[in-house]
Amino acid sequence: MFAIFEEPIDVGRLISAAQRPDCGAIFTFVGTTRIDESEGASVEYLEYEAYRPMADRKLEEIGAEIKRRWGVCEVSIVHRIGRVGLGEASVAIVVASPRRGPAFEASRYAIERIKEIVPIWKREVWSDGYVWVGSQVGTRERASLP
Amino acid sequence: MEGIQVLLFGAAADRAGTRETVLSAEGITLDELWQLLAERYPDLSPMRDTLAFAVNGEYARGDARISPGDEVAVLPPVSGG
Repeated sequence: MFAIFEEPIDVGRLISAAQRPDCGAIFTFVGTTRIDESEGASVEYLEYEAYRPMADRKLEEIGAEIKRRWGVCEVSIVHRIGRVGLGEASVAIVVASPRRGPAFEASRYAIERIKEIVPIWKREVWSDGYVWVGSQVGTRERASLP
Repeated sequence: MEGIQVLLFGAAADRAGTRETVLSAEGITLDELWQLLAERYPDLSPMRDTLAFAVNGEYARGDARISPGDEVAVLPPVSGG
């Protein structure tokens, strides 16, 4: 399953869906939004946007790369967009393989690849403005403009 | 003449003050399209070196040919995860 949606991610369901009798390992990576604080201000929530359907296709491409390279049984990648509260899952990767090694490696690869090629952007909304992560463009005074 | 649909995302949309626009041009490259875009939205210019571009949903280089009817996306550094 490769999906981008606004609803909370049901990680348990993704894991259940990856269980197969020919696979002895399921590795799950869940990225969650983190509280960040600096000089009296703090992050209130994050907001993600995606260029669709390119972003959907790139997730599928990563899945195909992983299947080719590691021969894993199942790969699911789900990314949330829209407003995501602190501590909530913004991305989940579930990889099942016959033995543990490939599942470990493949899920690490998936999250690194997402951060390289999938057109999704994160905006941190702080108590004193916002900033686009990666571009450092925003309305916070301390956000340095390029 | 059919236009070139330009979509802007994230910080680029912020800088331009819009999420989409249409440019009229024929027989140009992506680099040349960028020049037109930067003239229309001067605040985008300082971001040039950080941006990537997609043509019809796939990453493209500056020498890619753009035709009327194409969709060009302006992509700031991605920050998913």
